[in-house]
Amino acid sequence: MGESPATRGCAMPRRPGAYGSITSKAVKLSLATLSLVVVVLAGSVGASANRAAGTLNVAVIAPFSGPAANLGKFISLSCYAAAEEVNKAGGVLGNQLGCTPVDDTGDPADAVPAVTRALATSNITMATGLETNTAAVTIPLINNARVPFFTANGLPAFDNTTDAYFWRISPSDAQNGAAYAVWAKLKKYKSAAIVVQANAGNDTAEPGIVRALKKLGIKMTIKLDIPGDAASYASVVAQVIKTKPQVVITADDPQTAATFFSQYKQLNNGNVPPLITATDSLTPDFFNALVKVLGAQFVTKDISLVGYHVNPSSAAFAAYKDGLTSSSHVSASDVPVVTGIGVIAALYDGDIAMALAMNAAHSTSGPVWNKFIVTVTAPGKNKVVVHTYADGLAALNAKKQIDYVGTGGQILFNKYHNSAGNFSATGFNTDGSPRLLSIFGGGLIANALK
Amino acid sequence: MGVVVQTIGFGIAAGAVISLGAVGFTVQFGISNVLNITYGAFMTLSAYLGYALLNRGLDVWLALLLVAVAMALISVLFNRVFLGPLQRRGAGFVSVVIGTVAAGIILQGVIVILVGPGAITYGAQFGTTVSALGFTFTVAQLIIIGMTLALMLGLHLLLTRTRIGRAMRATSTNRTVARACGIRTERIIDLTWLLTGFLCGAAGVALAVTTVTFDFSLGSIFLIYMIAAAVLGGIAQPYGAMIGGIVVGVASQLGAAYWSPAYQDVVAFTILIIVLLIRPRGLFAAAGVTRRNLSAT
Repeated sequence: MGESPATRGCAMPRRPGAYGSITSKAVKLSLATLSLVVVVLAGSVGASANRAAGTLNVAVIAPFSGPAANLGKFISLSCYAAAEEVNKAGGVLGNQLGCTPVDDTGDPADAVPAVTRALATSNITMATGLETNTAAVTIPLINNARVPFFTANGLPAFDNTTDAYFWRISPSDAQNGAAYAVWAKLKKYKSAAIVVQANAGNDTAEPGIVRALKKLGIKMTIKLDIPGDAASYASVVAQVIKTKPQVVITADDPQTAATFFSQYKQLNNGNVPPLITATDSLTPDFFNALVKVLGAQFVTKDISLVGYHVNPSSAAFAAYKDGLTSSSHVSASDVPVVTGIGVIAALYDGDIAMALAMNAAHSTSGPVWNKFIVTVTAPGKNKVVVHTYADGLAALNAKKQIDYVGTGGQILFNKYHNSAGNFSATGFNTDGSPRLLSIFGGGLIANALK
Repeated sequence: MGVVVQTIGFGIAAGAVISLGAVGFTVQFGISNVLNITYGAFMTLSAYLGYALLNRGLDVWLALLLVAVAMALISVLFNRVFLGPLQRRGAGFVSVVIGTVAAGIILQGVIVILVGPGAITYGAQFGTTVSALGFTFTVAQLIIIGMTLALMLGLHLLLTRTRIGRAMRATSTNRTVARACGIRTERIIDLTWLLTGFLCGAAGVALAVTTVTFDFSLGSIFLIYMIAAAVLGGIAQPYGAMIGGIVVGVASQLGAAYWSPAYQDVVAFTILIIVLLIRPRGLFAAAGVTRRNLSAT
């Protein structure tokens, strides 16, 4: 480095553009950038715990901060609804049910310490949530702690799990992926583009989509994984437009979807093909973002959301809705949204099944009551079919055996503790609430994946 | 060839936003010697302020101007109330940086408390699409590119053709000597934060116009790209930051088009590393040093 003008005297520097010692600043910049990265990776917003004497804590393991915070919120609502129904009926063996949010931020690096801390300090009786992004690290922790749990994760790796405390009453991602293709077939589309945001859930859904499209004779025009929250997708959009798909099968967060499809509209003379996406996107954020860039008419007419089906006219669903509307933790505006998301309702069913299992086992010890989950959900002769916790508790108190039939219908666990159920396609109403378009059986999905 | 040209155009449009933010970031660092990580959170705040003005029926570009002015003032205040006292009390460079990281996290948390973690949408502010010479731009993108160039040119003229600009450069080189020479360095620092705060505000709203939808993490995500642009161009080099932003934008789009969209950032940051291996001080700083060395002999 040469001697700077300023150190030689009071002359103004003549060379425009450079300001100060470059080398030292480069070192400082590197240090600071490293600090930033460390802080960003470690950053999380803590979630409040809910503990009280005589309370059985349900750990709601989900993202409550970060881009997927809404998912955590919705998952927790299912717990609050179940707790409301259980406590209204007198609780579990003299205990109240409480929901303890455990913020995994949707990031495995944050999830491990968060769950470990919760297990050590929060007296967890059972768990719910454990969604796809963090399931691979959270499930072993919970299972090893011998805490029974119902998971919202869709990882096909758990299709044949031997984890004793694992329970899932929603389809795996591969089955969900195939369901998009089945819906495309039912809508008579001949070609489809697959554009999904790169993440754990979509990575495992993609093979199901591709396999089912091929099986069903729908031409896949292009398959692209896109990063979330980019400033521009223009070059990707141009590639998709070139292939002229009749429908786009997509799965993105609201920000990514809005940016991507607004650029699709810009570059395709204002036209966007119909979209098939996941019921996970039945959220106000997704609806509002897409309405603003694609218009209300497109969003209500040309977007269908496919996923695990719940029966809104069932008694179990009525109880679920009652729990949501009665809970002080649930705002009224969230009720129509959350009731449209099948996987969230499935978690409610899981909470009710776990509470009934404890009653059937006369124990709050996980290793004792875990096997009673099948006992209270399997169909059988002389069993009393119940749709609510209150009815189930009354039947158990009357020394009867029960079959809890939940919001999605009969629960049929296989030997791996999985129960896939049926599927449905849903659209948006003009106010963002869900509108059922069609129900299709799990058999169609199984055939498409053969 | 047509696809290449079109993709380069997409990259220029994406890079212009990065450049706009990176220029302010690098000038702020160069003159005040503060690596202000809060810059990202300030961009996020700008995007939310822009949203509030849009909801009041203001035109997006007028909102951008008002937000830029507001952020210029907030930026000066931030330096006077927080960073200035920190430095005067003897906090070292790294301590100040950590202070800005902390302030950024606090500001991000306040935003979440006030408006929630959900996504906010500006809606379709991009205007009509214009195609020429193989390039395709929206009107909004053309405005942002033009605005970036105009602000860059204005900054260049200020720094090279005015006494204030020379005083800013002198302050940057050696604040003590500059003060001894009669330069009111405190005012120069205020002016620097005013100008760079303006650029930060403009960049925040421009970024939200480009991405359409955003949440509280907007600035944090794009700060990484802006730092990359600043490093690529040569730290404290406004021209370098601008070119760096364009290189990052174009490389990302070419990577997405010709390799995989999932790895578009990998392409951009690989180019960054290659450039740094060849020219460790960045594209422009190295040339500057050579000139200075020549003039010193």
